[in-house]
Amino acid sequence: MTTQMFLCVTLSMTMLAGTADAQLVEKTALTLDGAKKIAAAAEAKAKAEGARVVIAVVDESGSLLLLERLDDTQVASVNVGIDKARTAAIYRRPSKVFEDQVKNGRVSALALHGAVALQGGVPVTVNGKVIGAIGVSGETPSQDEDIAIAGAAIAISFTKP
Amino acid sequence: MKYITMIATGITMAILASTGSAESVSDKRGLTLEGAKKVIAATVAEATRVNAPGGSIAVVDDGGNLLALERLDQTFAASANIAIGKARTSALFKKPTKTFEDAIKNGRTSMVTLGGDLQNFTPLQGGIPLEWEGKVVGAIGVSGAASAQQDEELAIVGAKSLDSMEMVGVTNGHAPLPVTYIESQKVAASFAKGGVLVGDDENMMHASRNYMVHASHREKAGAVEIHEFDTDIVYVLKGSATLITGGTPVGTKTIAPHEFRAPNVNGGETRKLVPGDVVIIPNGVPHWFKEVDAPFDYYVVKVR
Repeated sequence: MTTQMFLCVTLSMTMLAGTADAQLVEKTALTLDGAKKIAAAAEAKAKAEGARVVIAVVDESGSLLLLERLDDTQVASVNVGIDKARTAAIYRRPSKVFEDQVKNGRVSALALHGAVALQGGVPVTVNGKVIGAIGVSGETPSQDEDIAIAGAAIAISFTKP
Repeated sequence: MKYITMIATGITMAILASTGSAESVSDKRGLTLEGAKKVIAATVAEATRVNAPGGSIAVVDDGGNLLALERLDQTFAASANIAIGKARTSALFKKPTKTFEDAIKNGRTSMVTLGGDLQNFTPLQGGIPLEWEGKVVGAIGVSGAASAQQDEELAIVGAKSLDSMEMVGVTNGHAPLPVTYIESQKVAASFAKGGVLVGDDENMMHASRNYMVHASHREKAGAVEIHEFDTDIVYVLKGSATLITGGTPVGTKTIAPHEFRAPNVNGGETRKLVPGDVVIIPNGVPHWFKEVDAPFDYYVVKVR
């Protein structure tokens, strides 16, 4: 077991603490079931507000795990939603950070590789570690983000198998 | 749950009927998110049943745009985009993607350049159109199972699940109303004096109901009636009457919103009504029970 790579569902912190020079690390990863819970929480908020949005959930590396386009949502939001989620996952911060930077004069933030500087992507965090992200697109930037936050917030209830 | 939606893109039919002109817009059927989720669920169930090592399942609409996607645990990340590409290719060409993989394999190599203008053209087995009553409403793409063959087998199972889905239009999007039952004594009592069986709970009809039912009773002739919105479907039960329909009313007055009455009418058609007769008087047509052989009882459904 010691020479195999773990890419799944266990906590790293305790191991790391004990073995500072270990070659491998265990990471917490988001499952499809977790992604569904995040999307369901976001969908509930969107429906309560009558929002027409795309909800995208990606893993830690920014790869798509789950996507939902609510009825009557503009189709262009599919890619924007995925882009926002990927931005939040691989930069480990809300995509709003980059939109704010551009707004405040740091136009070069637009050149960040793999990022879109658009509010609405929010990291999903478990025990202080980013395990994925949710991106929402379709309504106003702040409403998109509020819906994404509602989805990401559910992660506090996540348990391991 | 409703899975298919009618996208009404116009009021063509009414216009068509009156002008006979060619159709400018049409109705089309589209998949809802609920429907896409159900297709994915059927596919995931099959993947579990056959012990597939993984799979990304994408469902797109008839324009090839992603509606829903799920990537099963342990499935390689690139499969998500491949699944989207298969579904998109299948939807836009209304064909299984195996068609393209086979054509290229059989020597038509130049077909790979179809990708040029088509975003995400993916000529790989595993994309299947979603059909509803013979029309393509979208497509499913599967990637990341044991083989391209298994990808396609899973997609076919997902596509088949559409057969059992319902359309939103069945109840027009809202919950069905409760069944109405009126026992015979109450119906008889209404006919004795003439009354409203269904629809007297408000001035207008119920918001989600487009009919009223009257147990009508006449002792003598009435006035000329014109209903702007209501079509009367009449079934004669007792007595007889002379009914005049059409013509030009004289001295028309408004007695309620969308309701007009007149004391007389010029012209029109005359009919003698006896028990068992049925008359349907479309909205806007003047009608007058001019002579009545009392008691004259008739059952009326007013449709709006």
